Amino acid sequence: MIQLADVSYAYPDSGRFVLEHVDLRIEPGTITGVVGASGAGKTTLAKILSGFIPHVDGGQLSGSVVIGGRDLSGLPLAACVSQVGLVIQNPFNQISGARYTVRGELAFGMENLGTPRDEMANRVAEVAGLLRITDLLDRSPYELSGGQQQLVAIASMLVLRTPVLVMDEPTSQLDPAGTRMVFGVLSRLRGTGTTIVVFEHKPELLHAHADRLHVLAGRRIAASGSPGEILSDPRTDQWGVSATRYTRAARLAREQGLVPAEAPLPVSFEQAAAFFGWSARTRPPSPEDAR
Amino acid sequence: MSIAIEFIDLHFRYPGGVEAVRGVSLTVSAGERVAIVGENGAGKTTLVRHLNGILRPTSGTVLVGGASTRDRSIAQLAAQVGYVFQNPDEQLFASTIGADVEFGPRNLGCTPSEAAARAASALATVQLQDQAGLHPHHLSPSERKRVALAGVLAMQTPVVVLDEPTTGQDARGVEIVAGVVDSIAAQGRTVVAITHDMDFCAEHFDRVVVMADGLVQADGDTRAVFDQVGTLERAAVEPPQLLRLAAHLGWHARPLTPAEFVDASTREPRDPGTRVD
Amino acid sequence: MTQAQFVGTGSPVHRLNPVTKLVALLSILVIVFALPQWWVSAIVVVGVLLPAAVIARCGGPLIAVGGRILLPIVVVLVLVQGLTFPGGRTMVWQWGVLSVTSEGLLFALNVGARIVCLVLASVLLVLTTHPGDLMSALTEAGMSPKFSYIISSTLQLIPAFRSRADAILLAQQARGLAVPRNPLRRIGVMMPLLGPLVLGMFTDVEERGTAMEARGFGSTARRTALEAIPDSTAQRVARWVMPLVAVAAVVVPLVWEVL
Repeated sequence: MIQLADVSYAYPDSGRFVLEHVDLRIEPGTITGVVGASGAGKTTLAKILSGFIPHVDGGQLSGSVVIGGRDLSGLPLAACVSQVGLVIQNPFNQISGARYTVRGELAFGMENLGTPRDEMANRVAEVAGLLRITDLLDRSPYELSGGQQQLVAIASMLVLRTPVLVMDEPTSQLDPAGTRMVFGVLSRLRGTGTTIVVFEHKPELLHAHADRLHVLAGRRIAASGSPGEILSDPRTDQWGVSATRYTRAARLAREQGLVPAEAPLPVSFEQAAAFFGWSARTRPPSPEDAR
Repeated sequence: MSIAIEFIDLHFRYPGGVEAVRGVSLTVSAGERVAIVGENGAGKTTLVRHLNGILRPTSGTVLVGGASTRDRSIAQLAAQVGYVFQNPDEQLFASTIGADVEFGPRNLGCTPSEAAARAASALATVQLQDQAGLHPHHLSPSERKRVALAGVLAMQTPVVVLDEPTTGQDARGVEIVAGVVDSIAAQGRTVVAITHDMDFCAEHFDRVVVMADGLVQADGDTRAVFDQVGTLERAAVEPPQLLRLAAHLGWHARPLTPAEFVDASTREPRDPGTRVD
Repeated sequence: MTQAQFVGTGSPVHRLNPVTKLVALLSILVIVFALPQWWVSAIVVVGVLLPAAVIARCGGPLIAVGGRILLPIVVVLVLVQGLTFPGGRTMVWQWGVLSVTSEGLLFALNVGARIVCLVLASVLLVLTTHPGDLMSALTEAGMSPKFSYIISSTLQLIPAFRSRADAILLAQQARGLAVPRNPLRRIGVMMPLLGPLVLGMFTDVEERGTAMEARGFGSTARRTALEAIPDSTAQRVARWVMPLVAVAAVVVPLVWEVL
């Protein structure tokens, strides 16, 4: 369980507030998406959730950040790190440079924590299989493409099996197939009880995999709800949140009076098929069609 | 319409031995918006890097503006072909955004005031005019991509090449890039973009080239290409959301935009679940 | 030493524990300085280094790399000492004003033999030892993991940053920057690009630091290693014997002189 209460944060050098009075509650064992425009404070929020603010970045942090019943600002960084894994936005910087092969890179974190050798080998093989990078294990991380490096960066945190995983745009460099694969892996992880917070832009996949979405806009949480509610909300443009084409088309249809105003907008392919598959003059889609 | 770009039986083999482009012939007219799609490793980036001389053909010819690229250096070709790299951090180097965007025009021979004017205009196009005095590191990755785009726009080249312009962009960033693509073509200039975003592709490009294994698998009008379901599948390309939906609903229409879709919905037969593919 | 110079042939020499090889190198260093006669270095080269190179199947690269480094040094050494050695009287060869003395040549031989021995030993170490294995072995032997990280990450990041610099240069050429052939003017053109590249490295450092912490780098737990570094009792013994021989090489001649 993650709970942020009245969290505000200002950068150390400029004193400019990036987050103001943020309240957030994340249930254990769920996938939570945080959406919003670039530069809205998502990276800052990711660092607060993982304890790097304030332990590493300084600045003024007020309010409380409680994870698993413990306040992060009272814990040493090592304890924060063992609770919350952080995948940063730039995969190149996540790669340590301390190891010469992808296999070594994946094991690096576990070596630091003193994980037994057999366990390390097992986890490396398992995670590499999950993310389909087994054929990259003997290559140097620096020879890889941006997308491959991103998969290695994600893998290097997955092997640590932290109860909470915070991921800042983990699919930014990936093609559609890779992006779907990563989201699929996140769903599997949720099945093992991991709490996942992912900062992302991709509406179709967030709708398919996330349990809840929070919108970060105007330095605070502007809205929270199910992916269906958030992604079909009329304020998505204002928030800087991407809506699927299905939603956009449905919105237009509603504006043109082709569907009743109260008809809930579809977000996914299946919902859109139901929405547009009906007869305009007979049955409007029912609220159960949208999640 | 004049011809902006021509590839004539282009082959390219990397020093390590991999033949990334295995015989591509393609002609692009001025003012076209061409999207090149396909999975990673299909040869898309290798192909477009011949346009400004970063790569030279192993065999075959590349013509830009009617003349072969052979005897012109990268810097010389830059006057004709502006290339926006996928990673903005490889392109941005100046200490302020404004100075960085002025770099291209200065190199092409603009006076300082001309370059400044062009830079201001380009930054306004990508909606970063207020950030001109900032250091690139103060911007988000999405904003830095827009600065890189502005840097090439300011060069006002007849051809603009975009390598994955929407990757890593937020919703507003994608809209801005889309607007840029449309306005370049409206000025009679040519856009060639490599993209994984099929919805962006459907809405803003007239022509789609599907590549796989170093060869062109399909090339033509956007609607026609996205209809070739088998080819797309083999090339690991997914059709855009609305086209998938229209096909699933058994429609005849092939709508590329939400507006077209809604328009079609008033006329199409409503048979839920009838799959045409 | 980057992994580019490592030649992986999987020979017995390669499979030696890296610390053993390092101790051997340091022992050789001490021995050839303690016993400066040229034939001592020659014995080490012929009796230890060349056979090891043959077993390691690195004879060719050893000669190639070693030769490239040594040739200019040896030539200069012979010329300078041969021609100008103070106290050189015995003329071996004369051409007008220039004369080569046998004392000079002998001096060059002694110094040169040492240099040859040390360079070949170092090159052999680099050829047969992957830097990652060396760092792991040293860490296991008690070296600070932070030190190992500094070395490894520098070795890896330098080529990574160099290819980033190439990419930046390419991007600027694509914006019309003409890069001159003349090397001096070329550097002049590249200078403004390098500043931000270096600055970028430093601002990245903060993010890299965060990423490292997220991987438990600051952990005080006892570290483990994914791959076992090969070792044997014989090598452990050798790691004591070799330094002892080196010490003896220093002490025995001193004692000899006193007696």
